[in-house]
Amino acid sequence: MTFKQQKMASYLILIIPGLLLFASVIVFPIFYSFSLSFTTWSGYGKSLFVGFENYRNILTDPVFLHALRNNMLIVAISVFGQIPLGFLLAYMLHRKMVKGGEFYQTMIFLPITISPVVVALLWNQIFSSSGMITALIRRFSGNSQYVMKIFEDKSLAIVPILFVLLWMHTGTYMIIYLANLQKITPSVLEAAQIDGATEAQMLGRIILPSMIGTIATTAIFAIAGSLKAFDLIFAMTGGGPAHFTEVIALYMYTNTFKYYKYGFGSAASILIVALSVGLILILQGTSKRIERKYE
Amino acid sequence: MSRTKTMFKTKTSWKTIAYFVMISFALLTIAPIVWMILNSFKPHSEIVRNPLSPPTSLYLQNFVLSWVQGHLGVYFFNSILYSMISTVITVILAMGSGYALSKFKYRFSNVIYMFYTLGLLITVHSVIVPLFIMETKLGLSNTRLGVIIPYIAFGLPFQVFLATTYVKGIPDAMQESAIIDGANYLQVFFAIILPMATPIISTMFIYTFLGNWNEFILVQTLTSEIAIRSLPVGINSFAGGMSRDYGLQFSALVIGTVPMIIFYLVFRDKIAQGFAAGATKE
Repeated sequence: MTFKQQKMASYLILIIPGLLLFASVIVFPIFYSFSLSFTTWSGYGKSLFVGFENYRNILTDPVFLHALRNNMLIVAISVFGQIPLGFLLAYMLHRKMVKGGEFYQTMIFLPITISPVVVALLWNQIFSSSGMITALIRRFSGNSQYVMKIFEDKSLAIVPILFVLLWMHTGTYMIIYLANLQKITPSVLEAAQIDGATEAQMLGRIILPSMIGTIATTAIFAIAGSLKAFDLIFAMTGGGPAHFTEVIALYMYTNTFKYYKYGFGSAASILIVALSVGLILILQGTSKRIERKYE
Repeated sequence: MSRTKTMFKTKTSWKTIAYFVMISFALLTIAPIVWMILNSFKPHSEIVRNPLSPPTSLYLQNFVLSWVQGHLGVYFFNSILYSMISTVITVILAMGSGYALSKFKYRFSNVIYMFYTLGLLITVHSVIVPLFIMETKLGLSNTRLGVIIPYIAFGLPFQVFLATTYVKGIPDAMQESAIIDGANYLQVFFAIILPMATPIISTMFIYTFLGNWNEFILVQTLTSEIAIRSLPVGINSFAGGMSRDYGLQFSALVIGTVPMIIFYLVFRDKIAQGFAAGATKE
């Protein structure tokens, strides 16, 4: 074996096993899913080619539209809630505004280790009629009959879920920003401080501009993560009551595995990919424009 | 004078806000967890009557029942098995790919790397339907192998990214001198690259392990037998519906969280590195 052949053989040994797994579990199924999405296949028997009918049915289904609205709210709470809050927390820790920052950092990042399903069941207990919140409100309001009704309201039922998502993920963004804030040379900030810059000026003129790239990247994470929100809602409400807390991933799951509409479900999952790619492209466009403004 | 005074004032107000925000967030984490642990030592009736009070006696029956009758022992074992095996394989494959992609200088390496990067955008939900069909046809559904294979595959894109970025930073000189001395590329991989990459390997390992341990939808969809299900799926079916006994539910949640909290407290820095690495702009 020549040296060149030996090199090529080593390369293939290193790369092929992973690539094979990746191709068969992720790449091939995507195309399979795409082709299924144009059929009426129900898991067995004949499958009929129906063109875009599945897509048309999904996009006119009021349940899907409500799910889409909920997904957009989740995107909004991630981009306009988790990201700014995570940034604020990281900034406060980085500027050492509190004593024992290490402790707070550990506590705020902790929810990331707990499985979303367990988080869901825990918060269900907290929100339940014999849960912590009800008990606290009963104790402090003096109304011993108080019951939480938020889950029964069509437009508000998603709010507790949004809150839990905020609880789960803000710490992750905090950690990411903290790691990036540490890369800003401290002497720049010190010089600004000596020149009499206020905290707000330093934040707005030095720190934020240098963090725009990171913020844009995390926003991409947030969007991609928001559209796949599934585990938590599956375990918390299952999309109920009456589809009030439905999201697209759950909609896909129920139609596929409960009603055996494989073709229809595939179309829904292709829509998830399309939506996240679309949103990410929009975001990249706007972040480039903002970056150019600061240059 | 007045300027330093206002500066001092804004500084203290920033501090007050900071303390307020930090303490609220910390309490939001601590209170639910403490409440959950306290309630897991109370029988159902006591939880319903006094949800906020601490347990009056050390009642351990909840744990015994959920571990045995709720099969949490079985689920726990399966979770360890799935997480360990697939994490080890993912990290090995990712390191191999990372080395090949960053040091061999073949032109199609870029294409393969781009392929993996696009894989970062694909979520489990977009392939779960075909995956279920494929596994049913191949007889892999309801088997342990049928869980481990997708775990490895979904771990790969991000881990290949981490490995490639890290190995790229290892100087070429070391590899070249070993090759001149007659070593082949696989020997270089095992004798030079792997030892030098231990910091990233431990980060990759812990990050992947955490993800696999908490994974839900794959096991929920691809398995239906108690004997091969994992902890999150088991806890969901046990505490989420079957049992109306709050004491049992809380004990199941404690079994689901407390080991992970310990894991987190030990490996916090490594976990943080894993999360930060994805969004770090060099």
